Amino acid sequence: MSNELLWYLSRATGIASIVLLTAVVVLGVVTAGRRDPRAERATVVMALHRWLSLGMLSFLLVHIGTAILETYVAIDVISLLVPFTSDYATVWVGLGTLAFDILLAIIATSMLRHRLPERLWRLVHWGAYAMWPLGLIHGIMLATSDQPLLAATTIASGGVGAAAIAWRVTSSYADRDRRRAVLTEQWS
Amino acid sequence: MNRTDVAPSGLLAALSEAGLTGRGGAAFATARKVEAAHRHGAQLIVNACDGEIGAAKDGWVIEHHLAELVAGAQLVAPDARRIRYAAKRDSATAQRLRAAGLPVLEVPDRYVSSEETALISLAHNGLARPLTKGEPFVQGGRDSHGRRIEPSVVLNAETVWRVAQIADRGPRWFRAHGTPAEPGPRLVAISGAVPRPGVLETEAGMPLRTLLAAAGGLADGAEVIGVSGLSGVLLPRAAATGMRWDSGDLGRFGGSIGPGILHVWDPARCPVEHVDDLLQYAAGQSAGQCGPCMFGLPAIAADWHALSTAQDSRAADARLERRIDLLPGRGACRFPDGIARFAASARSLLADHLAAHAAGRCPHRDRSNHAA
Repeated sequence: MSNELLWYLSRATGIASIVLLTAVVVLGVVTAGRRDPRAERATVVMALHRWLSLGMLSFLLVHIGTAILETYVAIDVISLLVPFTSDYATVWVGLGTLAFDILLAIIATSMLRHRLPERLWRLVHWGAYAMWPLGLIHGIMLATSDQPLLAATTIASGGVGAAAIAWRVTSSYADRDRRRAVLTEQWS
Repeated sequence: MNRTDVAPSGLLAALSEAGLTGRGGAAFATARKVEAAHRHGAQLIVNACDGEIGAAKDGWVIEHHLAELVAGAQLVAPDARRIRYAAKRDSATAQRLRAAGLPVLEVPDRYVSSEETALISLAHNGLARPLTKGEPFVQGGRDSHGRRIEPSVVLNAETVWRVAQIADRGPRWFRAHGTPAEPGPRLVAISGAVPRPGVLETEAGMPLRTLLAAAGGLADGAEVIGVSGLSGVLLPRAAATGMRWDSGDLGRFGGSIGPGILHVWDPARCPVEHVDDLLQYAAGQSAGQCGPCMFGLPAIAADWHALSTAQDSRAADARLERRIDLLPGRGACRFPDGIARFAASARSLLADHLAAHAAGRCPHRDRSNHAA
């Protein structure tokens, strides 16, 4: 495969990963902040969240693999897992590595969810709120700055995800509110 | 060192032969619990909370049979350092236990806090809220937050006292009381509109009339007798005075002997309003852990209140009927099940009275006005 093809493949799978990752995050936020968990709708949202995340992972693996294989810029295998080790754009590649590390932790704990304490799974899953913006910054700083369409896609992804998170933070949720109210009573 | 006169295997055989079941209400076979407690070296929590509305017998056991209770506890947990006595904070029972130099687990005054897994949680420095049940905690394990729970067993105070009695007097003495299905002597707390409320030593199969007579008989005009508090049922006077106090007769009204409580409702109060108060109380007692409980109980209380105050009565009654069916079997503990049973019983017994309320009248008030 020519070096040029690898380079373009890496750009393309990168931007696809960002769009899919944003969709996964939005679906996760919708699940976590749901007000009206009707069974069928919640099941569809949950299934999409899970399957899209695995779909996104396949794009991401191609993105990372091609970025390491192509020789136009110097990124070593070690940068796959260890952040801030790349000669090329140390900081911005490093953010991508960091996001990938968090993603691996999220996927691993989700696969083992039935064997882990709920709290541990939740704690790690909250890492998504760090992983997603790291991925976006990595994307916008590295590849799409001279491509208006790609830059616009990344920025739009950021806007959609931020709107979903803002909805979640501001939405009232009877379940959470009642649990908190009960906890203020005397229980020990 | 074994402090007891009875070898553990002998004790288990005696408990099993006696057919002792938990006196806290759930009526689980005590021999099986004690066997598991011995096998896992479990710590023992003696539940003397009298947690149910109207309960008084745990306090009575502490007041009158503390020495036997302590002996019974040591049969279950031979290491005295592994025994604790749970009582409501600032109660007379807690004071008596402390005065006797016994280790007291102080329980907040909340309905669900004396539930067995709530006590186990509290004993592990958690909140006194029921835990999700997976493997029995007598084996030890973890709660849903991943906190380690050491092997723990909870037995009602009367149950532990009966363990000591059976070890002392033997299963045949025990079986000489009660019915084949519900053997043994038992305590019942009788309260409300009777001249001499208190705790009686009796047994299953006793005519209800005899029990009430021992408390001085029903007050004039008393029409409703509550069995087992908020987790039980209501009986009409006519049926109550003709039935026996056992789970066969009580079962026809959806009830059981439960934790041994009879409460004669005050004839001066409208029973529909009394149920209203009790359901409002129940709605405020949810531990806020399970949706069907933390939303279902306030919903049922609101339906009853709407019915009793003639607001949108027809819809409220339909909602109440549907929601009562939705509650059972869906919580970490049996609190919603008990409230559903109580509400269903009240709805059925007070149907005519409730219908009058729904139409904006109260037969009770009409009658009082006549009397005045």
